[in-house]
Amino acid sequence: MFDFLSFGKTPEMIKKRKTAFVRVQRFNPDEDEKPYIQEFEVPMTPETTVLDALQYVKTELDGSLTFRKSCRHAICGSCAMNVNGSNDLVCHRNLPESLDKTGVVTIKPLPYLPVIKDLVVDRTSFWEQYKRVKPWLVPPEDAPEKEFRVSPEEVAAINSAETCIMCGACYSSCQVIAMGKDYIGPHALLKSFLRVMDPRDTIPGERLDISGGEDGAYRCHTIFNCIDACPKNLNPTEAIETLRKLAQRRIAFEEERAERQKTLTEAAD
Amino acid sequence: MAHNEITHDVIIVGAGLAGTWAAMVAAREGVSDIGVLSKIHPLRSHSGAAQGGIAASLSNTRPVAGTGPRGPLEEVPPGAEASDSWELHMFDTIKGSDWLGDQDAIEVMVKDATEIVYEYEHMGCVFSRTDDGRINQRRFGGHSAPRACFAADWTGHVLLHTVHEQALRYDVKFYSEWYCMDLIMEEGICRGVVAMDVLTGELYTMRAKAVVFGTGGYGRAFAITSNAFANTGDGVAIAYNAGVPLMDMEFVQFHPTGLYRHGILMSEACRGEGGYLLNSQGDRFMNTYAPEKMELAPRDLVSRSEQTEINEGRGVMGDGQGIYLDLRHLGRDKILERLPQVREIAINFVGVDPIDAPVPIQPTAHYSMGGIPTTLDGQVLADADGALVEGFFAAGECACVSVHGANRLGTNSLLDASVFGRRTGYAVVDFIRNGAQLHPVSGDPAAENRARINDLLSRDGDENVEHIAQELKWTMTNNCGVFRDGERLQLALEEIKDLQKRFRHARTMDKGSRFNTDLLTTIEVDHLLQFSEVMVAGAIARTESRGAHSRTDFVKRDDENWLKHTMAHKPMVYEDEDAGPRLSYKGVDIDWEKYPPQERTY
Ligand SMILES: Cc1cc2nc3c(=O)[nH]c(=O)nc-3n(C[C@H](O)[C@H](O)[C@H](O)COP(=O)(O)OP(=O)(O)OC[C@H]3O[C@@H](n4cnc5c(N)ncnc54)[C@H](O)[C@@H]3O)c2cc1C
Ligand code: FES
Repeated sequence: MFDFLSFGKTPEMIKKRKTAFVRVQRFNPDEDEKPYIQEFEVPMTPETTVLDALQYVKTELDGSLTFRKSCRHAICGSCAMNVNGSNDLVCHRNLPESLDKTGVVTIKPLPYLPVIKDLVVDRTSFWEQYKRVKPWLVPPEDAPEKEFRVSPEEVAAINSAETCIMCGACYSSCQVIAMGKDYIGPHALLKSFLRVMDPRDTIPGERLDISGGEDGAYRCHTIFNCIDACPKNLNPTEAIETLRKLAQRRIAFEEERAERQKTLTEAAD
Repeated sequence: MAHNEITHDVIIVGAGLAGTWAAMVAAREGVSDIGVLSKIHPLRSHSGAAQGGIAASLSNTRPVAGTGPRGPLEEVPPGAEASDSWELHMFDTIKGSDWLGDQDAIEVMVKDATEIVYEYEHMGCVFSRTDDGRINQRRFGGHSAPRACFAADWTGHVLLHTVHEQALRYDVKFYSEWYCMDLIMEEGICRGVVAMDVLTGELYTMRAKAVVFGTGGYGRAFAITSNAFANTGDGVAIAYNAGVPLMDMEFVQFHPTGLYRHGILMSEACRGEGGYLLNSQGDRFMNTYAPEKMELAPRDLVSRSEQTEINEGRGVMGDGQGIYLDLRHLGRDKILERLPQVREIAINFVGVDPIDAPVPIQPTAHYSMGGIPTTLDGQVLADADGALVEGFFAAGECACVSVHGANRLGTNSLLDASVFGRRTGYAVVDFIRNGAQLHPVSGDPAAENRARINDLLSRDGDENVEHIAQELKWTMTNNCGVFRDGERLQLALEEIKDLQKRFRHARTMDKGSRFNTDLLTTIEVDHLLQFSEVMVAGAIARTESRGAHSRTDFVKRDDENWLKHTMAHKPMVYEDEDAGPRLSYKGVDIDWEKYPPQERTY
């Protein structure tokens, strides 16, 4: 057989190779009545990722196994799945470390979303909520010739929110989402937080009406699942808390923003 | 309207920076009937993986006086003399391109640079800042001033999200997970595309007055690559098959710091922030190759230096194919602040924390300098004489305008994709406003492509598509890589020919219509096999060394014979089946007064 995983890898790595038992949830709505688990035996090295394993199955054993992938280094957000009961990006997840004592890893699609095929889920509601919070900045009408002045501290406050890759791991771990898709969800609330906190944004009040409102921050039960699920170690719960507090003092916050924007083109201290 | 027909004024294929800029600008200017196709969700596009920065001569930071080319940087105080200029940026880019870049295009790019970076900032991009609140800038290879505007080491991610959000603001319609597989061309006029809705497997004839390609690079033709799975050069292959020439395809950039054996990128920002490259003897070997710029010499030069160290037995790791990237002296705080993503990647994939230990790296295929030839406004060229393909535009990494020539400087490609994506957006607006037509389409292009798919699905040979791809990629890495020579290139060509034949017996295992990624892989591998041949053919013909094209049997740059762009046309159907691409050549735009070719030393 073509030695896919070790092709181009070093001899020591090949020597140490063992195999893993990869259990994957399969479901093609055109053919199957309900989802079922299928097990594949996959060779591995200490560096094999769970994505490598899926890729091996697809290439060597069953080309119909379906999953999303692209960047393979945890930046595009394509490959979030449920591995051994918790959500993660399979491209940065080490396979040997994911095995139980019997050498098994179980991979399922992200929970609480309709399955399109195998590990591919339908994220329509996820993207609708993202759009609902108006993820775009609405800057002041008169742009300066150069940049708006934003201090490193102001950047630090929103920096981590900006690194969200919209993979959906948090969304699919959220108990509130499990109960209903009208909740905005941690991903979109984090985005809303990013915009609300950005000194350049001119509509924080309007944003707080949505994200601080009934379908937003108030719905969060602070169960912290999103924090545990986030493969980028972000903290949506804290952002949601901030939105909730700001919504309570919306008018004052809008005034502070208007005040801040008067000096947006002046050097920060 | 026929079954499965969709029409728009403008169809844009690709939702990375280039495609999204074009769409956003056109929508903002009032051309509202736009459809943007992307084979993966727009925010998954590879632009989002860019790490280090985007170039613009803002003059926000400068080297501390007296500390040399690798010393610390400081803010340029208000009123002080500018530390950088578009002219400097232009010269650096020309020199980096080894004089193959078109100087008119480079001038447009470096002049638009400052404006577009400020536009990003005004649209909400969260850049890293100087203490006084300006956009922070760091050093990058081949640039003679700190010119890289950055957001930690996730710059591309931030830029992509920003422009995507603005496109949503202007109500651009995205067809997410739609795969474009053909260009509809009749009588030299582009009339639309054929695309598959991946979810259902259904094919559509999508007609438009203007089609824009922003389909990204072709780095997936190599085994060791920094590129995402999606970078299979579909756009270049589709255009080539439709009779559009491809330009300078032999020029592929090998980035000096791909993670050892994985190829995943360790951003050049590692060296921009002060990282060292070490061989097995612990020497900073760049001393020998570029004593002035050291690790911050341009990428082609650094990759060749590494490969030479490796070939001469001074590599690291078990097989001696690695080099060390040492960041330890930067200290924990700087690594955490400026290179957090890079650190995570090293920990995750090779189990090394750069705070504590040097990271094994090696050259990795990274950037496609070649592509679909265009004018300064993204209009696609039909031949070396400058005839245009009506209704067809291209921008970004799939295009070749050409600002990068034989070697791209780091941070110039996010700039290229943004600047020329935006210019293409404006050009499309003019084109539509000036009365562009929705040209009729004869026949049923969707049905013809359905036949191609049915043919692929019905093949029951014993070849495995992915194995063919793997063999191709290793052939390209080994024989058309950092160093090339006539013999190995010839070998690569023969292997590609052979693989093309074997591909006809390759089977697709998934026969269904719903979300058939197995079928898409098959089509992508078909594309890889087609344009790889063009790359190798161009490389064989070019008997010189220039920029990233480095031949050990022709070690010198040869301006007398080769200061020109390669244009490769697909052979006509009536030619011999084995006929390779028909090569012709196009002059380089050079300002002989100001920027005549010079020897390129660093
Ligand atoms: C790891 C990495 C780091 C980088 N870092 C930097 C950096 O720091 N600075 C810099 O300047 N440059 C950097 N680059 C290069 C830069 O990111 C790219 O050149 C640039 O982003 C390309 O943008 P694009 O819009 O042309 O293509 P992409 O962003 O690749 O987008 C291509 C689009 O086309 C779509 N597409 C492709 N084929 C099809 C098809 N058949 N049907 C439908 N849709 C299709 C894709 O879905 C995608 O939306 C880096 C590149 C890599 C690989
Ligand atoms: S493949 Fe991009 S996040 Fe995993």
